Formats: sequence, structure tokens, C-alpha cells
Amino acid sequence: MVEWTEHEPPEGQYQVLDAEGALDGDPPAFEEDELVGMYRTMVATRTLEEKMLKMQQSGEASLVARSRGEEATPLGCAAALAPDDWVFYTYRQNPALLYWDYPMDNLIAGSIGAEPETIEEELGPVEAGVNFSPDYTPVGVNTTNAVGMAMADKFNDRDTVSMAFIGDGSTSEGAFHDAMNFAGVFEPPVVIVCQNNQWAISEPSHRQTGSETFAQKGEAYGVPHERVDGNDIFAVREKAEEAVERARNGDGPTFIECVTYRMEEHNTSDNPDVYRDPEEQREKWEDRDPLDRYETYLREEEILDDDLAEEIAAELDEEVSEAVEAARGVPDSEPERMFDHHLHGDSWAQAHQRTELEREQSGKNPFTDFTGEGFDE
Amino acid sequence: MSEIYPAPDPDNEIEGESEEIDLVTAVNRTLHQEMEREASVRMIGYDIGPIGGVFRATQGLLEEYGEERVIDTPLAENGILGTAVGMAMAGERVVPEIQFMGFSYPAFGQFMYAMAKMYDRTAGSIELPMTLRMAYGGGVKALEYHQESTETYYAHTPGVRVVCPSTPYQAKGLLAASIRDDDPVVFLEPKRIYRGGSQEVPTEEYTLPLDEARLVREGEDVTVLTWGAMVRHAVAASDAVDADVEIVDMRSLAPLDVETVLESVKKTGRCVVLHEARRSLGLGAELSALVNEYALDRLKAPVKRATGYDVHFPGHDIEDDYLPDAERAQYAIEAVMNYEF
Repeated sequence: MVEWTEHEPPEGQYQVLDAEGALDGDPPAFEEDELVGMYRTMVATRTLEEKMLKMQQSGEASLVARSRGEEATPLGCAAALAPDDWVFYTYRQNPALLYWDYPMDNLIAGSIGAEPETIEEELGPVEAGVNFSPDYTPVGVNTTNAVGMAMADKFNDRDTVSMAFIGDGSTSEGAFHDAMNFAGVFEPPVVIVCQNNQWAISEPSHRQTGSETFAQKGEAYGVPHERVDGNDIFAVREKAEEAVERARNGDGPTFIECVTYRMEEHNTSDNPDVYRDPEEQREKWEDRDPLDRYETYLREEEILDDDLAEEIAAELDEEVSEAVEAARGVPDSEPERMFDHHLHGDSWAQAHQRTELEREQSGKNPFTDFTGEGFDE
Repeated sequence: MSEIYPAPDPDNEIEGESEEIDLVTAVNRTLHQEMEREASVRMIGYDIGPIGGVFRATQGLLEEYGEERVIDTPLAENGILGTAVGMAMAGERVVPEIQFMGFSYPAFGQFMYAMAKMYDRTAGSIELPMTLRMAYGGGVKALEYHQESTETYYAHTPGVRVVCPSTPYQAKGLLAASIRDDDPVVFLEPKRIYRGGSQEVPTEEYTLPLDEARLVREGEDVTVLTWGAMVRHAVAASDAVDADVEIVDMRSLAPLDVETVLESVKKTGRCVVLHEARRSLGLGAELSALVNEYALDRLKAPVKRATGYDVHFPGHDIEDDYLPDAERAQYAIEAVMNYEF
């Protein structure tokens, strides 16, 4: 029977930490540094995204998409990767980026809207622990690209793994089905993660599929699949590690559904109060908050205490402030930058139109070339 | 007038060994040559394996290079193009094949979102050295969506080259250049002339310049701008009219070789665009606009477009009435020759 999880948190999915933060399975075998590191990444994400929200509200940033309530999914999955692996992400995977030391200033600068060329010139090339594709705005597109890269890695006998993140809404797109089908046929080292946060802007899960779960879609393509409590960092990481290991060992793709919840709006242009009940949301899902659960566990295990939590919070406040300042230092792009990086070399039209723009910018008439050979002054 | 004439190829001055081959064989020879030359070249598409493509363009490649370099896929154009993009991101030089241009529309998402945009999106740090091969064009009495030429959709998109050969010699040199190019290229193969005439082509590898048009024939009275299977009709028409016709094979549909176009039209003062695509908003409109913007005072007549009509490609019995041919080209040439301001 189909149970629509956008209203009712599901039962019976794979879990290591229960909703209260107590162990409900085998204890994880992580060093204390790693445990604190994952906590730090979750807090970093919230600190950064709250700051970016303020920048959006003050008109500095255009749109901001937050991960609040679903941080464990991108974090746990991406943390299972190794250097040289690839992440094909969308717009709700800041925890994955921050875990692998993607520079915060670069992230912020992007949301302020500078051209990528200008950002790179000012802040330097991005160096992160794993390779990140550019973030994909159109949904589902990244999945086939990730599968293609993984196919190339397989053909070249490289043990690199590609991981793609999509939302539940993306599973409705044709590209998702193309990617899953190719993954099933060619068995490349790819992990496709469905971050099922129950909402694709205003459309609930039950508008995306008649299937009982998203995970079971893997069945039709011959792709091994898992359904995990996406708010349980240990469960997510464990299943992602299994999938990454399978991929690295040459045993092919995995599709993972991480069941989580988008606590906030889709992005800052959205108003979820119109299509869902905020009270119901708080009541049913806030208890399962991934950060609270994890923090409870760390405190129980005496890995985290008030002093360390405060120290981390203070460090991150500082780090985010510095990143914001660096991002603000990125100058507005020169208008002619829009002509960069379309093709190698310069066509007549490109050169001509760039000159037209320059003339317009300097108050000259851009329409005075009647021979194709140059502009009258 | 519907007979297909061989088009002369002034670039074709062959030294050394050569063979007489048709256009699809030239494509096949080039794919073999480029796969042999560079291990990162991979073909991806459906029916490209054992049967060697529905036109046999990929014949023999699977046997020679194996199924990891000649990748026979499910029937999924968006999947083919999307995975080709991923492979190119991983450093491969990928040659995806879409069987017919009219089948490319499901792949338009990947074309726009990833193939055309990745280089720009990453400030130049990710290059996509891909050559998307598609058979296009009418005149072969095929089914719907097997006949049209909608190159404008592709040429309208920044970030890609669109290339179209008109002879076996052009096909070999332009395809080799496209595969070796570090930008994404859409390579249109005029299937009507796949086997429509053979020509001596060097057996050695060679490339021809991308982004440049080709002067097929010099003339003083009127310029015909054309490409693909229409080049031969332009030649036949220019033989039949009482005028000294200059024929420019555009070869590169994006970016356009504007200098060559303007130079020719300024010399002749008259211009006809001959293409088989629908007329409105087609490349003929762009070429006409360029001539209007930059050579108006040299014109002795308005630019005329001899093209297909703004309709869906019609059924077998009337497709020859839809398609421009030497006769339609001749009418257009005569019209601009006889025009007086």
C-alpha cells in the first residue's frame, strides 16, 4: 500500500540512530575527529545558509536554497567518497561541498551573481577534496552526465566513482530514466542519490509517482537500490559507503533513496505556507531533525559538550564572515565577460557584437557599421 | 531538373594516394582514421554496432575497436547525448550519433543544458570535445521526422559549432577537424548525397578548416549562399542561367563566415540563399539580414531565399515539390538578375 510520506514520516526504513538520537543499530566505527567533523559540517551549513538568507533578504543575493533539515543526506553520501571522485550536484548539497572544503567565499560569490570568470579571477580556482561538477539548475540533467563519466572511468579501468544528487521531483524527468537505464545496462561506477525531501517546490511526493517508494524504481532498471532514513547520518553514510565500495570494486551502480524533509521553502522565491501546513510540518518532522539527533548522540557519547559546541560555533561565525567579505570583494563582472568561453577563438559575429556592446557602454551608437568593416565614429 | 549533379571541389588537389568514394564512405573512413589515431575517441549511439549504422557510416568500427569504444546503446537520444557529455567531461573525445536529425528532439535538453553550456558555465575549465553526428535532410522518400533539416535550432545556440559537408572530400576533412576540435560540434550529414556521387579523396588523413565557407565557383553577377545537398543544385542552376554565378558553400553554419559572405555579395551585388530548411527564421533569414545590414548600398536587388516552405515535411508524393532544387534556384537567380530598383 502506498503511504505518502510528505505528511507522515515513514516507518521501517534503514536506521542506525533513532529519532531521539539513540543507537538503533551497530555503533559506527569512526574516529572522534571524523565524528566531530561531520557535526561541524552540519553546523557550518546552517551558519552559512542563515547568513546567505539574510543577504537575500537585504537584496544582496538573488536566490538562496537552504538544506535545513536534510543535511545528513548530502553530507553522509558525499563523505563516503574519496579524493578524485566526482559529485554532480544541484542546489541543495551545501553540506557535501563544505565537507570537501569547497571554498565558502566562492559559493557565496556565485549567489551574488558574478560571472564564473570574474569569481575565479578574484578568488582563484576552486580546490576541493573531490571534484565537483558545476551545480546543475535544470533537474535530472546531471544524472546522465554522471553515468557517462562513470562509463568513461569504467572503460579506462579507473576506480573513480561518480555520485549524482537529485530530488524526488527529478525522478519524474526523462533524464532520470535515461540515466538509470544506461546505468543498468552498462553497470558503471555511479551512485545516484535521490534526496526525497517530499516536495518539488509545491508538488508533493504523491504527485511525482504512483510507486510505493522512490527506491523501488531501481528495480525496473536492474539497478541495486536502498531506502534509508535520510535524517540519520550514520545510516546514510553506511549505505553510501556500501554503494561507493560496490562501484569502486567494479560491481556497478546503486540508487539510494534518502527519506528526509524540506523544512523550509524550496528557495527564497517560494512560499510554502500556501501549499502545506507549517504546524503539521513542525509536529511530524522537526523531531527527526538530523542535527539534533546527531548532537544528542555525540553528547551522550561525551564527544561533544557545551565548550566544544560553542568553540565550533564561534569558529564558523568567523569563517562565514570572512567568506562573505571575500565574496563581497569580487567586483561586478565587466559586461563583455558575457562573451567569454562560448567557443575557442573568436567569430566575426562575436567580435562584432562585443564591439557593439562596448560602444553602447561608452555612450556611442553601436549601429553605425554599414559595411561590416568597422564603425563610423 | 531534379537530377543530382556532382559538385566541383576546388580545394581538392590531391597529391599522393587517393580513392574514389562516396560521402558516407568518407565519413566511415574518417571515423576509422580518427579512432585509430586517438584512443580517447569513442562512438556512442544505437545501431552503430554490428550493422554499422542504418547508413553503414560506422561499419567495421565495432569489430576493430570493441564495444567500449563503439558503444551500442538503448534507444534513448537524451541518454546518448547526456552520457556522451559525461564521458567528454572525463576527458574522452566522444562522437555521439543521432540516427536522424528528426530524432534529436528528445536530446535537446542535454544539448541546451549541458553540451552547449558546460564550457561557459565553468569559466572554461571543463571542455567538451564532442562531435554530434546526425544524418539530415530530405529527398530520400523516408518517413516523417526522417527528412527535415532543422539546423537553425542548433545554429541558434551559443557554444557549439555547426558544420555541414557537401562532398566526400569535404566530409572527410571537416569530420576529422570536428573530432579534433576541443569545442562541441554538431556535424550534419546530408543523407541524400551519402551515396549520390563519388569523388577522388586522399587516403591519407587531412583536415579542413572549421568556421570557413568555401568558394565553389567564382562569378561576377550574383552570389548563391548554400550548403549540404543543395550545393549541387546551385551548380546545376548556375550552369542553366544566363548569368555569371558565384557559389559559396557555407560549410560552417555556426559560426558563420561573415567575411566571405559580405565580400562575395559586395562584389556581385546580388544574393540568393538556397536551403532546404523551412524559410521563416531559417539561416537564410540570418544571411539575408547580414547582407542587408552590411552591404545594402552594394545591392542591385533584394536578397531572395529559395527554400523549403513553412510546413511540416510533406509525404512522398509531393516532397519533390517541397524541396528546393536547381529549378527553384534558377528562378530565384533570374528574379534577382532581372530586378531593377
